Amino acid sequence: MRSEAKTVIIGGGIIGLSIAYNLAKLGESDVVVLEKSYLGNGSTFRCGTGIRQQFGDEANIRMMKRSVELWKGMKDELGCDVEFKQSGYLFLLYDEEELRSFKANVKLQNRFGVPSRIISPDEAKMIVPPLNTEGVIAAAWNHTDGKANPFRAVFAYANAAKRLGVKIYEYTEARDIKVEEGRIKAVLTNRGEIRTGRVINAANAWAPIINRMAGVPIRIPIEPYKHQGIKTEPIKPGQIEPMVISFKHGGVYLTQEANQGGVIGGYELKYGPTYDITPTYEFLRGVSYRFTQLIPALKYVNVIRIWGGYYAETPDGNAAIGRIEELDEFYIAAGFSGHGFMLAPAVGEALAELIVDGKTEKPLWFYDPYRFERGELREQAIQMG
Amino acid sequence: MRLNEHPILDFSLRRGREVTIYFEGKPVKAHEGETISMALHAAGIRVLSHSSEKHRPRGLFCAIGKCSSCLVKVNGIPNVRSCITLVEDGMRVEMQKGKEELPKTAKPPEWKDAPKFEGDVVIIGGGPAGLMAAINAADAGARVILIDEQPMLGGQLVKQTHKFFGKREQFAGVRGIKIAEILEEEARKRENIQIFLETSAVGVFQEGDEKLVIAVRKNRELLEFRGKSLVVATGAMEKMIPFENNDLPGIYGAGAIQTLMNTYGVKPGDRVLIVGAGNVGLILAYQLIQAGVEVKAIVEAMPKVGGYFVHAAKVRRLGVPILTRHTILRAEGRERVERAVVAQLDENWRPIPGTERVFDVDVIALAVGLRPSVELLHQAGCQLLYIRELGGHVVRRDERLETTISGIFVAGDTAGIEEATTAMLEGKVAGIAAALKAGVASPDWLKEIEKAQRDLEEFRSGPFGRHVLEGIKKVMIGGSE
Repeated sequence: MRSEAKTVIIGGGIIGLSIAYNLAKLGESDVVVLEKSYLGNGSTFRCGTGIRQQFGDEANIRMMKRSVELWKGMKDELGCDVEFKQSGYLFLLYDEEELRSFKANVKLQNRFGVPSRIISPDEAKMIVPPLNTEGVIAAAWNHTDGKANPFRAVFAYANAAKRLGVKIYEYTEARDIKVEEGRIKAVLTNRGEIRTGRVINAANAWAPIINRMAGVPIRIPIEPYKHQGIKTEPIKPGQIEPMVISFKHGGVYLTQEANQGGVIGGYELKYGPTYDITPTYEFLRGVSYRFTQLIPALKYVNVIRIWGGYYAETPDGNAAIGRIEELDEFYIAAGFSGHGFMLAPAVGEALAELIVDGKTEKPLWFYDPYRFERGELREQAIQMG
Repeated sequence: MRLNEHPILDFSLRRGREVTIYFEGKPVKAHEGETISMALHAAGIRVLSHSSEKHRPRGLFCAIGKCSSCLVKVNGIPNVRSCITLVEDGMRVEMQKGKEELPKTAKPPEWKDAPKFEGDVVIIGGGPAGLMAAINAADAGARVILIDEQPMLGGQLVKQTHKFFGKREQFAGVRGIKIAEILEEEARKRENIQIFLETSAVGVFQEGDEKLVIAVRKNRELLEFRGKSLVVATGAMEKMIPFENNDLPGIYGAGAIQTLMNTYGVKPGDRVLIVGAGNVGLILAYQLIQAGVEVKAIVEAMPKVGGYFVHAAKVRRLGVPILTRHTILRAEGRERVERAVVAQLDENWRPIPGTERVFDVDVIALAVGLRPSVELLHQAGCQLLYIRELGGHVVRRDERLETTISGIFVAGDTAGIEEATTAMLEGKVAGIAAALKAGVASPDWLKEIEKAQRDLEEFRSGPFGRHVLEGIKKVMIGGSE
């Protein structure tokens, strides 16, 4: 293992790896990524695979618009097919109030070039033939949203970063961070010490632990909540192409994997804060009920997998991304509240720009880690899929 | 074709009323008590589905619900395991062509609470280990729930027509099928054992101190079982080996052939090549000949026969060549096996060019070993280790077969591949230990555990057991890791 590195990134999920890759791409390749387990194990491999631009605020819409551009080019840029598919996001709307708020979102999204629109239940049924449209009055639809394979995406970033010189150490846990007179000196791991002047906390659910190690002097409230997902046996791909979402059914979301055809998804049931991610029967029953309300024919399809994972939640459902001024140099990109996978390409690019150039055009200000301390919470972001 | 004459078995007792099912719209005669794939095989139907990527024909492989080779569509519902689903009069069976399309019109299901059943000890698997666990846990005072996804109890004993070795109290000299009957009778006469057949356990959850097992009965009804402790005795599944066209219908696991001919009285084919000369391959050859099937040869990649000498001698006396240092290169045929090509191997396990031989067969039996069915234990979160000597991934456990999760026990082939005798002894240990854990058994029962442990030790002291003991040492909690 290296005993010295210019940058140490803690966390080998897609956020840490995207930052590592983007730093190296900008010429800062003296980077070490530490992962206490195997790559992707924290949240990325447990995610719902969705990638959407249908947010309700400017910053998330712009960040996600950039992310989608990057997801689209990822196959060429990283040299690995991450199975990204622009299969759309379909929000099912059941009453006037929902419709009103989604109409306002669509207007905002359109202003920033996201081609979302409100469609009729019949049109929704054409997009998802086995859909149950009973009670649906309209749907919010954006065909440029999509999904990708989180396993492939993690390895795509990791391998591309390695090719540029980044060192990635799995099963290597950060145990402490040495700070002297406000300056980062080293990261202590279970495999020895790495001298460094720059730490990036990309540990998501475990970010508060890393913040404590470094003595971050501000309050960045991030708490791990257990969410769960299921996957069914494969059915013919292409039947449930978009991510289908209903808030009326407890925030259920589901889609079909692009290539294999298994139906994957979950709903809003959460437990915590906790680091326990053992799957529960309550979830299995609840999600089965909700899946079959949306797509009744799924009653004929067997569930083959259930798993738990973390939403590393902040009070406003938006991540904390940025530099901690009191520590030279400490950055955080954590607390993604369920959106880390979709945001990773743009976040990696923006944070690398901030570190290397000292500024970025992307709206990272929105995710300012100081906002909690100042009591300036953002409007709650839609936490779905 | 159905077998009617058999030196040991009488199938007329098992075959129920004649019914009609429809395969691809055509009527097929079947008997109540038969599974779909058995009835179809008896009618000469070998191709049950087409694979999803390359659309290759697929048929039966394991015949006990452990693989996905025989999935069909039944009354419009896809992915039904035809090997463990019983026929019903008028059933519409369709070949599954790749991944299925969902019907566009379907109503949301009626949603109600699942029926709930409670016991002290829940046992998954009604084979030799599970039955012995049930009987012993019940005798120790536990209310027992025993579930199995097969339509009958006995596990793989129901197709073992050979007589067992060992001690008299371990059923030496008794045929497996008879042992299954004895154990079933013992289980059924105990009022504190509730038995659920055609019921697949699909998940294990912890609810406080209780174990919750959720299961699906007859592919449609969700059931909930709660107990203070759980014994997982889900057996094993057959291994597959790579060779060209190894997915052609007519290539079966050895156990599947025994299920066809010994359990359901269906002739597996006319001419068979067996791959693997361990005890399973040797016994299978003998059983095939008993059922009037020609065995062309047994090929074995190792330089010598792996099974007992007595079995090999018997097979050779019946004129079946055993070709050691030979392997199968490929199967040939369009929609089913028509030929098998084998070749001799050199010291580096490479086929020697020019030694190819073609066997004109319609069945290829793979008797190349088993691997433990640990899926539920894995899902429950028990710690697994890969132990070659025990056949693959197995759970860590202590001497009373308790896993790394308190209150979850393991027994039989699920704990490591051995044989029915050790499965029964392990079942006894795990069943009593589970009853003790549930707090319902008197400590006097510890003596019975010790006795079974001694019997296990004795049984494993032979040359075949040494291998197993090596493996067990590696998975024992507190042992060497």
